Amino acid sequence: MLKTFLKSKGILGMNARNLSYIRPSNAGGSMRLADNKLTAKKILRKNNIPVPRNYGIIKTYQDIENFDWNKLPSDFALKPNRGLGGEGIMIAYGQKKNGNWVKASRSELSQDFLKNHIRNILDGNYSLFNIPDTAFFEERLKILKLFKPYAFKGIPDIRIIVYNKVPMMAMLRLPTQASDGRANLHQGGLGVGIDMGTGITTTAITKMPHDRIIEYAPGTRLPLSGIKIPNWNQILYLAVKAQKVSGLGYLGADIVIDREKGPIFLELNARPGLSIQTANMAPLKERLERVKGLEIKNPKRGVRLAKDLFGGEIEDEIEESSGRKVIGINEQIEIIDNKGTKHPIVAKIDTGAYRTTICRTLAEQFGVDKMVDEKKVKSALGIEKRPIIHLEFILDEKRVNTEAFIADRAKLKYDIIIGRRDLKRFLVDPSKRVFMTEKTKNKHLLQSLKKRLRHRLGR
Amino acid sequence: MLNIASFMLEKGISQETIILLLMIPILATLIAFIRQVIGIKAFGVYGPLITAFAFWGTGLKYGTIFFIIILITATLVRFLVKKLRLLYLPRIAIVLTIVSITMIISFILISILGQNGFLKISIFPILILIMLVEKFVGAQMTKSLRTAIMLSIETLALGILGYSILSWQSMQEILLKYPWLILITIFINILLGKWTGLRLTELRRFNAIIKHAKNISKK
Repeated sequence: MLKTFLKSKGILGMNARNLSYIRPSNAGGSMRLADNKLTAKKILRKNNIPVPRNYGIIKTYQDIENFDWNKLPSDFALKPNRGLGGEGIMIAYGQKKNGNWVKASRSELSQDFLKNHIRNILDGNYSLFNIPDTAFFEERLKILKLFKPYAFKGIPDIRIIVYNKVPMMAMLRLPTQASDGRANLHQGGLGVGIDMGTGITTTAITKMPHDRIIEYAPGTRLPLSGIKIPNWNQILYLAVKAQKVSGLGYLGADIVIDREKGPIFLELNARPGLSIQTANMAPLKERLERVKGLEIKNPKRGVRLAKDLFGGEIEDEIEESSGRKVIGINEQIEIIDNKGTKHPIVAKIDTGAYRTTICRTLAEQFGVDKMVDEKKVKSALGIEKRPIIHLEFILDEKRVNTEAFIADRAKLKYDIIIGRRDLKRFLVDPSKRVFMTEKTKNKHLLQSLKKRLRHRLGR
Repeated sequence: MLNIASFMLEKGISQETIILLLMIPILATLIAFIRQVIGIKAFGVYGPLITAFAFWGTGLKYGTIFFIIILITATLVRFLVKKLRLLYLPRIAIVLTIVSITMIISFILISILGQNGFLKISIFPILILIMLVEKFVGAQMTKSLRTAIMLSIETLALGILGYSILSWQSMQEILLKYPWLILITIFINILLGKWTGLRLTELRRFNAIIKHAKNISKK
């Protein structure tokens, strides 16, 4: 019981969400912005965030009569400005010769029917507390081919929680038959967690009738994990940018990928739900606390930080099933000298080389430069003899005991490269880079400067 | 020390009035605690509180029966009226009309069955229960029917709990003796208002993540 309690500490609950995150981060004005789709769209558009195009805005009964129906294209979405949970949205997929539009269910939408629906919207039938509302026509976003087999009728969207300019957690929301084409989890849509680092889906959940994990898209044998979300970087970037311009410190960003136009920002959400944690099998509060108070200079940095800090769910799975560690193209290693002291340094993972090579100055500095063998190496410069030394280092928690070349690497970016011979227990992911904090970065800079200086003095 | 309660009694204010007034902070605090720490939502503070007081007037048996009859009728009527696409207030008014007609019919039925104890019940607590209809229909519109039913069951449960505290003899005596105890509830509520921990229901909701975290830490 106590253990359960301790493990639950990183999970974000309602109390903490409201008191520690929404209250201090989302001021009244920005909250109202999130509830007003048209104003939100205007602000987002002004800041170069792509949003669905407006075809027409109807504020009064008079506007209905004056509306030029001929300017509507053959497909569109009609929405209430302050609608809740997708209520009151009507989507036309095509137009018939008689002028009527067609819904997904093939039933026809006549002009009179639409007028009546707009009157209902204006009367506030779909807004909270039934306040009089505005209706608007906007472009219909088209579902990506990739998502088609997973979604029922509607269009999937990607929900991203952004806090302090860093994307915290992401989830793909899929409309189902139960949710009647809406991507809302409360209405029966599916939530599929997304690995922040790669944009690949992980665990899927449904809330209906209660929170539980599912493996396949309903009624199919299509696994919901392993879907690669296209334009992942751009999606994260848009989410962060939207947080900045909306003034919502704690934001749920909803983004749709349109078949032709790519990622388009759909909606700001000032009170995003908590089930995203189950979909990602990860606690959110822990992540929020890690970025709280950090100074993020621009959206790009926020995205990079998120990928480095919160990515890796996919990696864990691969490591689990293959029994090997996934490493990137550069990794922080620790070289162990004869006395057992550990020296941290960043190494380049080089699958093009067979043997590991270490820079002479570095080997001398650590006192591991005792030659045990010698080998001829063919390179672009001809044949040269290179000394071989004993080298012991730790790479991603694994101890590697090997024989390495010594060479002059003073002019190269990395002091040590690790070759195939020593990578048998690892898998290399070329898209993964070690995250350098300012501190280690400076340390490295200093080290390489010192090295260059020493090198020059030595000559 | 001057006891406000006994002073009021001397002045001829009824004991029931004093007890009910003193009970409000106790019940409100209890409901706040149950929401923030346990995680049972119900219809705000108002819903369960007013239900408890209504039950105080009707007695538990009739109170529960009426509560259920009223909410079932309201749901059925709402579904019928939904198709008419009416504005909010006229729609609620229709729902209330049908609910009162149902109540009239149940009154007639119960009196025919010859339940004499029932006839002594004042109408006001029952009116209070009928007024819960608006909260209930509102929840159905903004959330799902499922959630609305869940919230009503929770309201009923908290109402019954509140009622049992109201009619708890020793609680009444303590409050009459030490009426200043209700000031402590302010302090308790300040603590509750700053509580950011997980609710008990959330521990269950996120059980899968907690288990997952345990498995990882084992490795």
